[in-house]
Amino acid sequence: MSALPADGAGAEVLVPHWLTAAHRVQLATAVRQAMTGHPVHPVAVIHLEDVLTELHVAAARDAVWPASAARVRLATGWDEDVLPVRLSAAELASVLALSELPNAVRGLLTGNATA
Amino acid sequence: MMDTRFGGSAGLLQRLRPTRVGVAELREVAGALLPCLTTPGLRAELVQRSGAGSVVVLEEDERCVRVHLGDLADEMTRAGVRPTTTGISAAFASWIAHRPVTDAAAAARGIAVLDWSDARRTTVGWRVVVLRGELALPWTPSASADAAALRRTRAAAIARAHDVVLDLRTEGPVALWSHASIPALASAALVAPERVLARIAAAGLALDDMHVVVTPDRPVACAGPGIAARLAGEINESSVTLPWRRLPDLPWI
Repeated sequence: MSALPADGAGAEVLVPHWLTAAHRVQLATAVRQAMTGHPVHPVAVIHLEDVLTELHVAAARDAVWPASAARVRLATGWDEDVLPVRLSAAELASVLALSELPNAVRGLLTGNATA
Repeated sequence: MMDTRFGGSAGLLQRLRPTRVGVAELREVAGALLPCLTTPGLRAELVQRSGAGSVVVLEEDERCVRVHLGDLADEMTRAGVRPTTTGISAAFASWIAHRPVTDAAAAARGIAVLDWSDARRTTVGWRVVVLRGELALPWTPSASADAAALRRTRAAAIARAHDVVLDLRTEGPVALWSHASIPALASAALVAPERVLARIAAAGLALDDMHVVVTPDRPVACAGPGIAARLAGEINESSVTLPWRRLPDLPWI
């Protein structure tokens, strides 16, 4: 199930958050812990599942079209494992609401830190 | 767009502020290389014409390319080819490797893949390509190719596409198909979408309504419609997303 429309009509804006491989693992772990550890609102579950999907899609996007992220990494000096994870406002809010989210990842998602 | 016929290895600065490739240097390279590059069936020579400059002639079956050396040098300059003997030699060899594909080569060795069918890169169609080394070169049927020959060549190209060995990697709900050395072949498997579905299922991913995301010369992504839209909708690259059942109906280019 996905909260995103399939045809792109009315699709939400997805904002890129540049995360290292380690930060992506921490984000996925926090989301899974939250979904299995305690009751989560059904709408939040959909958004959190979409976040897990996006973590895979981000890696797939980079496999198919590596050039655009590579250009950003070249310009910023970021490491090879830094990828844009693109989240909607609702997905981001559902993640930031998790008490399990490590502070380093929270800082990156709120723009208070850099990869 | 970058001209890849000359190898496409020039740096950005060289392309923005190219140093001129001289006709004399190109003539010297062509004179040395052409005898080595001639293969059975391919006549490649430099024709000296008094007062009109030299012409490079490539003749292979029904195909004939004639280019003035001066024009070729200008094209190399625009493409940012380094004006050294090594740079010009590599560019000249690459240019010859990019020569048109003959009807006979397409019939004997063609492989069906998806390619852009419009200049704006908004639609894709089936195309026969022929491998030369690690290049996959598109075939455009000659005026003399009749309908029956066209059908035979395309049918044989589809049969060969079945046999192309591709790598399958799953990334969560996305299946990615790629070729180890020739990116253009990644879409060859799509001639048999049911087999694609079966292999993806064997890899542990059930795609009831598989959509394919195609950018020719890049890996092919397969996913459900929502995920395919998410994958392709957030990137400034040309791509076409379509349900797998439409694949057999795509036109030939």
